[in-house]
Amino acid sequence: MDEDNKMTDETPKKQVIETEVPLGPVHSAAIEPYRVRLFVEDEIVKDAEITIGVNHRGIERIMEGLPVEKANSLTEKICGICSNIHIWNSVLVAEKALEIDVPERAQYIRIIMAELERLHSHLLYLAHGNEVLGHETFSMRLFYIRETVMELLRMVGGNRVQYGVPVIGGIRPRAELDQMKIQKIEDGINFLEEKLSNFAERFISDPMIMSRITGVGVIKKEDALRLAVSGPTLRATGVAVDLRRDMKEYDPFDFDVITQDDGDIKSNLLMRVLENFESIKIIRQAINHLPEGSITNRSWEMQDTPITKNYVEAPRGKLYHSYALNDGRVRHCIIRTPSITNIGAMEYACIGCHITDAQLAVVQCDPCFTCTDRAIQIIQL
Amino acid sequence: MTVVDSLIALIAVIGTLIVAFVVSVWLPGIERKFVQARIQQRIGPPISSPGLMAPIKFFFKQIINPNSPMPGLYNSLPIIGIIISILLLIIVMPQLYFLVAFASVVALVGLLKVEEILYMFMGSLSKSVLSIRMPFPDLVKGAKHRDVPRSFVEELSSMRAFRLIAFGSFPIYIAIFVPVAMAGSIFLNDIVAYQQLHGPVLFTLGGILGAIVFFVGFMILLNEYPFAILKTKADVIEGPLLEYASKYRAYVYISRGLLIFVLSSIFATLFLGLPPTILSWTILINIVVTLAFTIIMAIVSAFSPIFTYKQFYPVVAGVSILGVLAIIASFL
Repeated sequence: MDEDNKMTDETPKKQVIETEVPLGPVHSAAIEPYRVRLFVEDEIVKDAEITIGVNHRGIERIMEGLPVEKANSLTEKICGICSNIHIWNSVLVAEKALEIDVPERAQYIRIIMAELERLHSHLLYLAHGNEVLGHETFSMRLFYIRETVMELLRMVGGNRVQYGVPVIGGIRPRAELDQMKIQKIEDGINFLEEKLSNFAERFISDPMIMSRITGVGVIKKEDALRLAVSGPTLRATGVAVDLRRDMKEYDPFDFDVITQDDGDIKSNLLMRVLENFESIKIIRQAINHLPEGSITNRSWEMQDTPITKNYVEAPRGKLYHSYALNDGRVRHCIIRTPSITNIGAMEYACIGCHITDAQLAVVQCDPCFTCTDRAIQIIQL
Repeated sequence: MTVVDSLIALIAVIGTLIVAFVVSVWLPGIERKFVQARIQQRIGPPISSPGLMAPIKFFFKQIINPNSPMPGLYNSLPIIGIIISILLLIIVMPQLYFLVAFASVVALVGLLKVEEILYMFMGSLSKSVLSIRMPFPDLVKGAKHRDVPRSFVEELSSMRAFRLIAFGSFPIYIAIFVPVAMAGSIFLNDIVAYQQLHGPVLFTLGGILGAIVFFVGFMILLNEYPFAILKTKADVIEGPLLEYASKYRAYVYISRGLLIFVLSSIFATLFLGLPPTILSWTILINIVVTLAFTIIMAIVSAFSPIFTYKQFYPVVAGVSILGVLAIIASFL
């Protein structure tokens, strides 16, 4: 053997993997089209690899060259769960570029929609988490609770999935809130608060559930920062970062940035439960202090703008939209959803878990690969 | 035994089997509609759907051959499961107690073991499309680990079935030996006769503990939540049963319903001294026990997450210790 090729004590030894268990992209525990390759030894995951790319929609490419209003509407199609935050961020990019002031009443209604959507997303997360955990009763009950939020979203936005509330300069007239709608929102969030409290109490006191989720799928704080994790998954590791604190739209509202310390599945699940209470708090403040006045500012003019970017705190984390405007049309559009930066954490969280816990470790990071998976390659023939 | 007696025994056996089939087709519906759907505040399926209409529907579906090295054997395993359930039921019927060695606890344990082994065969004989390697994302795009031996989800469940045979079925076998310890005999006619003289085993301390242990073992044998490690939705999905389609899936459904009735009847025989026979009104007790087991099992399942080994081992160990205590108590 060549002297140079001899393995010395300093040579790092390649990890020998016993078996690979590929799960997905079609799998009962995955509501998204992704594929997890679990490298296991005696059912314990030694390494994991997540691949996406099953979905090719190329929405940024479709947006290129469209009038900005149409392009904004299209961003809602990126995600079926957090559609509102996409259109809001896209509208915010145009407003920032064109320096448009939005009426205060419209800002408040946008906040109400954003927080209702956060509730809907977090409740879906909790329901799905419980389903993967194998607790169908909790899962069903959470879907039942979530139905109240869906009905409120339908009432305000006119639809259960794509609401189309924000427009450049304000909100659509159909999303205006009258006294009856405000009363319904108040009743809805009161109901939600009571049901969520009951759920949280029972969830925490269930020893079987706690045994399944405590100390499993741990993401340490320093690793979360290294892996560029964002959103509630980052906050569950103890890092108090919430972009809502930096958004001027949230300035009038008093809310806490919830954090947990352990970074395990329990912390992530509890994180969303507690964030739901904060969202309820924000909605209650918004409806109690809803300003009077116009909901749309129409006194703005279209002009060419350079590439403008904006970040918002989506239910899953940091959401980025950027584009330039040229002759009223969108150019150089780039969108980055939170799940793309959280993939590293999902792989990391699986390591050391039992296979049954591995899917739960992925789910704890709240993946939304359908909205992440937008890349297409244009080949000029 | 005269010809008339033989004829009556034959009618009793066939009649009891018919009752067992009729009752068992309604059990999944009761479990899902009356218990779990109510707990989960949803409408649930029609009561006849999961146990009766679904098998009928599957009988008329196109037959799909699974991706299996031995499809014939793989497809015949649910039928073998039904045959084993029938044999188990026949064993506990009083008409066949004259087959002394056959009508014993040893035969019960042996047949239950075969039932468990079936899952291992099912898992090892099936290869679903869900675990197929995808050359582009897995290999071409720069995978972390290349050329690693691949395991199918069914293989995983097969290995779990092996572990269940090794340790998961301890509780039910320990519980079966509680009445044996009390009656001082492994033969079912002796156990039934003992209870007719001294009252049901269930109403003693050892019997109560044994019944609890038996119920846990019953849930493990049926792979019900929280013990469903063979059929965990989060990883192996339906595990060994994943590739069964058309009439073979219908056999799987029938087999499960029948096994619930059979295990409940074994309990009624061993712990109440009431073997299932259509010639006696006590078959109603067997049906009540079956319904009670189904309902309690559905409630426990509805309020439990699925266990991994971390929870499974301590529960099995704890319940097995309880079973040993039950046997000790039965000697006192």
